[in-house]
Amino acid sequence: MPNPLAELTPVLEVLADNIDVLPAAGKAVEDYLHPDPEELEDTLINREMGEVTAFAETPTPSLTSLYRPTPPLPRIEQPFYRFFIDGSIRTYFLATGIEGNRSFPIELAQVGAAVIERRPDGNLRLLASKHKVLLLLPKGAKGISDAVWHQLEHFDRSDGLVELHDVSKTHALNREDQEGDLRNKAGAKARHRMHELEIEMIRATDGSRDAHNWLILDGAVKLDEFVESRYLVGVAKSFRKDPQFYLGRRSRGRGEDRRDVTAILAGLPHAHRTAAFSAYNGKVAFWYVRLREQRELDYPLMGVVKVELPRPGGTPVEAELADLISRALVAERNVTPYGRDRRWHCHLYPIFMAEQAIKNRFFSEDVLLGAIRWPQARAQAGPEGQENVGEGE
Amino acid sequence: MPDETVGNSALGRTSATEREANTSDKFSFWLAPGVIVNPFDIVQVEQVGPAAGETSKTYGLVTILEHRTDAASHLANFISNNFGELAAEPNTLRQGATVGRVNVLSNNRDIYMPVSNERLVHFADAAGIEEALGITEMPAADRVPAGLIKMSNGASTVAYLDRRYILGPESAHINISGISGLATKTSYAMFIIQSILQKAANPEKIAVIILNVKQADLLQIDKPGPSLPVEEMEKWEDLGLEPRPFKNVVYLLPASSEHPGRPNSFLEPDGYHLFAYDLDAAADKLDLLFTNVSDPTGTMDAIIGDIMQGIVNNEGDFKNVHSWSQLLNGPPLFKDGQSKGWGDHHRSSVGKFRRNLRRLVKTRQSGIFMDARAKNQKVLADEVRKIKGGYTYVVDIAKLYDDEQTLVFGDLLRTVYELKAEEPEDRSEPVPEKIIFFVDELNKYAPGGARTSPITEQVLDIAERGRSLGVILISAQQFMSAVHNRVTGNAATKILGRTGAAEVAQPDYRFLDDELKMSMTRLGKGELLISHAVYRQPVKIIFPKPAYRQEQR
Repeated sequence: MPNPLAELTPVLEVLADNIDVLPAAGKAVEDYLHPDPEELEDTLINREMGEVTAFAETPTPSLTSLYRPTPPLPRIEQPFYRFFIDGSIRTYFLATGIEGNRSFPIELAQVGAAVIERRPDGNLRLLASKHKVLLLLPKGAKGISDAVWHQLEHFDRSDGLVELHDVSKTHALNREDQEGDLRNKAGAKARHRMHELEIEMIRATDGSRDAHNWLILDGAVKLDEFVESRYLVGVAKSFRKDPQFYLGRRSRGRGEDRRDVTAILAGLPHAHRTAAFSAYNGKVAFWYVRLREQRELDYPLMGVVKVELPRPGGTPVEAELADLISRALVAERNVTPYGRDRRWHCHLYPIFMAEQAIKNRFFSEDVLLGAIRWPQARAQAGPEGQENVGEGE
Repeated sequence: MPDETVGNSALGRTSATEREANTSDKFSFWLAPGVIVNPFDIVQVEQVGPAAGETSKTYGLVTILEHRTDAASHLANFISNNFGELAAEPNTLRQGATVGRVNVLSNNRDIYMPVSNERLVHFADAAGIEEALGITEMPAADRVPAGLIKMSNGASTVAYLDRRYILGPESAHINISGISGLATKTSYAMFIIQSILQKAANPEKIAVIILNVKQADLLQIDKPGPSLPVEEMEKWEDLGLEPRPFKNVVYLLPASSEHPGRPNSFLEPDGYHLFAYDLDAAADKLDLLFTNVSDPTGTMDAIIGDIMQGIVNNEGDFKNVHSWSQLLNGPPLFKDGQSKGWGDHHRSSVGKFRRNLRRLVKTRQSGIFMDARAKNQKVLADEVRKIKGGYTYVVDIAKLYDDEQTLVFGDLLRTVYELKAEEPEDRSEPVPEKIIFFVDELNKYAPGGARTSPITEQVLDIAERGRSLGVILISAQQFMSAVHNRVTGNAATKILGRTGAAEVAQPDYRFLDDELKMSMTRLGKGELLISHAVYRQPVKIIFPKPAYRQEQR
């Protein structure tokens, strides 16, 4: 079999020719930067959601009616969700580059996204998918010189499998004010690219979505910009647990009516949703849905998903629509990837399958690391091993 | 349905995984949705060729099909149904695939590289099946139709056996197993005999001896049966055989004591010969008669040997002994109203011999033992010595007691064996080149286990040396494990009908894969597995109903 990553070879040659390369050595190390990258991501993307002060539902709910029943609405009764999008990511630490007095990590990532279509008979098929291999380097003051970068850009083709990315660029997951390790920034860049691929997947369903053919996007609906497509919801399995809800007349000061998300979710009954809350000045309505009974699970916050619905016009969501979205979502709890994924209690099976579809397209670690060969004579002496620093989806 | 873009005949693609490799002997493939494949279907896959740019074909036998899902456990499925809710339909169908396991049969360019991943799998066509089984390498003259291989896609082809492996010289014998009640074993034996005879270049050089052990099953094989249904006629036609009764049949029926001159049979064919045993005719077979008499110390064996020798050689003590009555009630074994010691044999041994002989030929006999035979009551051995090629001899033993059946079967085997070993000088025509013997319930005559008896020895002789003499044994029994393993081991062709799970667990079925063993428990009426020396794997066949008359009169 020919080297599937032959595109990378001239890039590595340029690096080896122009900078000192210290290839990674030793066994792969799992990245334990954060216990849950999704929750971290929700914190980063939805940093403005730390304080929730308004409902985004009409008629406006009262503080005494925060929960609404949403009994499951199975597909066979009323088809609702048809498309499911998820992305996946794997990052590898390749080497440390040294140019002048600057040293920086050279990282590689495999990212991909897939959209799964569920047919009327309940069977799934892969509608579209994309897979990219990213070479992640910092440019500028903390990274590679403009001269070398210019040479590398020569090999960067937008239609190719391999892409070159500057990890120091700012984006939704890497704000200007954000300090951080370059390796973390590389991870954030890869994740950002994965979301871009997910948005490309949404486009693949344009024209096919309508009131009976909705799309579920795994995670948040806002990246750099809001996803403005219609008939789409973001469903997050993991979400930040620190938002504070200040609702009601005495929402500030002494005797304030403040609740935290844990308190709200602990009281959320099975097959119910919370009222829809407003974020980003009403451009996103979000609420929580309990898919599974608490007695089936270990912890009160298990079995709950966060639903985000874009409201580009800033209008509140009609309660009936939020109910419908939630009821169809409760029905999605079966089948479950129990035993295959620790988040089974809030995982949606078609989303799990989208994740599997893209992961199965990834090159295995053996193939990937075998395909990456630093030109021996030019690289610093050292073993050829590389380090896997992280994986996420 | 199969993917139209890859041709409507593709079933799926081969699959090799980290844990389950494809090997030179086995490979797996996943099935496209909607495709139906069954165990024993023969499939083909493209394989590399001996030179660059060339391809070859690897053929395989599907042994089992498995459906796998991504559920990590049954618990996952339970939970996926809302923790065991029966009414709730899951919103999404769980991902699953059916995987076929295949045993490699052959490669048409002798390349036994493992089949690669992602190769398209097709049903083998008729020519492919012949190639897969090695039939193409059989000379046309040596092909004996043994049944039709029917595939799940409706295609069928003829499974041929190689004559050289049935009648010699390469190997010989056919053994048929399967539970009773499906009327399959006997029917198949009769079918394969028909096939051998119809396809023989010189049928006049083959004689067949058939033992009828049940009812009147085989007492009208020369008579045409009622018209066969169209589908049965088509099977005969597909096999290239004529649906016709046997020609030149000679019926040898046991004499009856109740109806002198008439046979002791369930049915009287139009023409037949009676046979009976007087002392002179049975003297040299007394050992066979005593097969089932317990003889832990060997005393009976000794006394029987001496008496046989005395009578056959007309020795002094036996000069006046010419009937069963004289042997039982006269000298040298009996005098003055009691058993008498004779030669080295103690009186008690003689007494035991007499008691058993009286039981066998007097008190508990069907009528074939008589002191004096009538003219029309033939000696069976004499009739067999006159055996002619092109003829089929049916010897009826259905109404005989077990000991009598053993005697008759042993008598036939011994006579045929002697006939082939040393051709009698008084024959006007040569002994047939091949003598085919069919016997059901072989476990009675050659049971498994260490104990041997004269009849077992006789069967073993035929099984092990019959090939070189031209004596071919087609035998049947319910359970292969109940038959001496040297008999079944020497059968180059084994036919297996439906069998219970406990039986297939016996070591006699080691030659089958575990998956195929379980398939044996599901075989239907008229379905059989053939394990033939030329085939790498057993194949499933069907065969037509007999064209001779079977109903009872």
